[in-house]
Amino acid sequence: MNKSDARSEVLFQQKFPIRGGDFVNAGDSSCKIRNTLREIGIDSDIIRRIAITAYEAEMNVVMYAERGVMSINVYRDEILLTIDDKGPGIENIDLAMQPGYSTATEEMREMGFGAGMGLPNMKKNADTFKITTEVGKGTRLEIKILLDGKND
Amino acid sequence: MTERRFAHSIKVNDAKCIGCVACMKVCPTKAIRVRQKKAHISYDRCIDCGGCLRVCPHDAIIPLTTQLADLDRFKFKIALPSPVLYTQFGQEVMPNEVLAILKEIGFDHVYDEALVCEMINVATEEYLDENKSLRPMISSMCPVVVRLIQRLFPSLCRNILPIEPPREIAAKNLRAEVSEQHNLNPEKVGIIHITPCSAKMVSINHPESMARSHLDGAISIREVYNKVMMKLKRETGMLMMQTQNRISGIGIGWAIEGGEIRGLKYTNSVSVSGLLDTIRILEDVESGRLKNIEYLECLICPDGCIGGPLTVENRFVAKSNVLRLMRHFGGKKRVNGVLVKRLYRENFFSFKWAVEPKAFPPLDKDRNVAIQKLKSKEGLIKRLPGTDCGVCGAPDCKTLAEDVVRGYAKLDDCIYMCKGDLQSNGEKK
Repeated sequence: MNKSDARSEVLFQQKFPIRGGDFVNAGDSSCKIRNTLREIGIDSDIIRRIAITAYEAEMNVVMYAERGVMSINVYRDEILLTIDDKGPGIENIDLAMQPGYSTATEEMREMGFGAGMGLPNMKKNADTFKITTEVGKGTRLEIKILLDGKND
Repeated sequence: MTERRFAHSIKVNDAKCIGCVACMKVCPTKAIRVRQKKAHISYDRCIDCGGCLRVCPHDAIIPLTTQLADLDRFKFKIALPSPVLYTQFGQEVMPNEVLAILKEIGFDHVYDEALVCEMINVATEEYLDENKSLRPMISSMCPVVVRLIQRLFPSLCRNILPIEPPREIAAKNLRAEVSEQHNLNPEKVGIIHITPCSAKMVSINHPESMARSHLDGAISIREVYNKVMMKLKRETGMLMMQTQNRISGIGIGWAIEGGEIRGLKYTNSVSVSGLLDTIRILEDVESGRLKNIEYLECLICPDGCIGGPLTVENRFVAKSNVLRLMRHFGGKKRVNGVLVKRLYRENFFSFKWAVEPKAFPPLDKDRNVAIQKLKSKEGLIKRLPGTDCGVCGAPDCKTLAEDVVRGYAKLDDCIYMCKGDLQSNGEKK
């Protein structure tokens, strides 16, 4: 196997379905991801960054979308977290990326959500952050976090 | 730095253990296995929560605390009771009576920790005022919570408030004061915490934030209970206060959950008690979900220290006693804020070093091997019955699967796997 193959090979993958509006089980998937990464010896600071990102992403699906799938992919040098949802999409990405901007309803805010920090927070914790969206269809987030490479 | 092993405060008495699975089932870090009809504690995983001690139906789990007889090596013995002690002897008994009796059962001096609790409140506020970038900060009061964070939530080690708990600060202060007053070698002064749990013993023997604890030992409330009770009965009405202690209502409140945050000006603080709820809230903190909270008080025992495994009075009565004492002594702050702030600047309360993460080891040091092992673990979990019966000697099927991939157990240890044919015959539809 040549070098680039080794780098692009998915060593481990887990997928978690997320149901929109399911506040009761919200947060479970990010918790499972955290435990998995611990078992394979990922550095605790990287786990923290992934846990925060995964939690924010999971909450976004729960709050705004109909349903979604979060998947964690471990590569040799990086971890890729993707979240695909079937939902309303984002009308103005630039606006959504602004800290404090939120389309959360009054109800959600009362529950303590919708502070408008979700996407900015994810971006802050990610090494690369990609967002593709189509209004009325859904959103896909791709978050890459680089590993230290010490294990190679 | 080399990894120091946790000293431990809990031991299995093999003579009494019959190998039931009670302790193994409650252990939050899956540190117990039953082999050859005896429970074995893995001290690499144990965080000294005392859960096993509580549930053992055979009294086979022994807390390793200091005994009264061990105190003879000290020239001058000081008792530093947890405020929980005051709540153990019924409604009529006041803290000063308990303190006076401690002086009659072998201590040369007693000190009430409650006032120091107020000092720690002030120091905590100073810290929170000056350091605003990380939230929530988590109390270092409960030694089990500190170890739980090191083990299960390593990334939250930096959230631990780097201020020593009242018992340590009280002892630090006392040693200097008493050895000077009585012209003693500080080494000959024995400062003994009277404790509702054995976990304090671990934080004394192997502190996580300094080289050496200021305390010399911890005697359990159970150990002194009978002696104090007998004297109380005999000398009712005769006990006049000889000790010079000022009792603080706020400090006494630290014996129950919420006591620590009650004295803080930061009202956006949260208190949690009990093992499962503590784990749940730490999970939320790690997800970044509770950043709007300033301070988090977590106590492993239900309802706080009054729920400690080495107490005598049931915790509901003890709680009522705490509330009554708090009403009696009032919520007025007695501490000298200016002095405490000066001491805070001199780092009198600070950790010597930060608490270090001690995460459980991954399935393998090599990440690729660990991933392979994780995959085979998941395969095994699917094959195992999922009944979590514990007969294999592991607390649940998931843990057995993990033990198998780590090489500590065999799949055959599971009776369902062993007798797979039998089972499938029995389940004919």
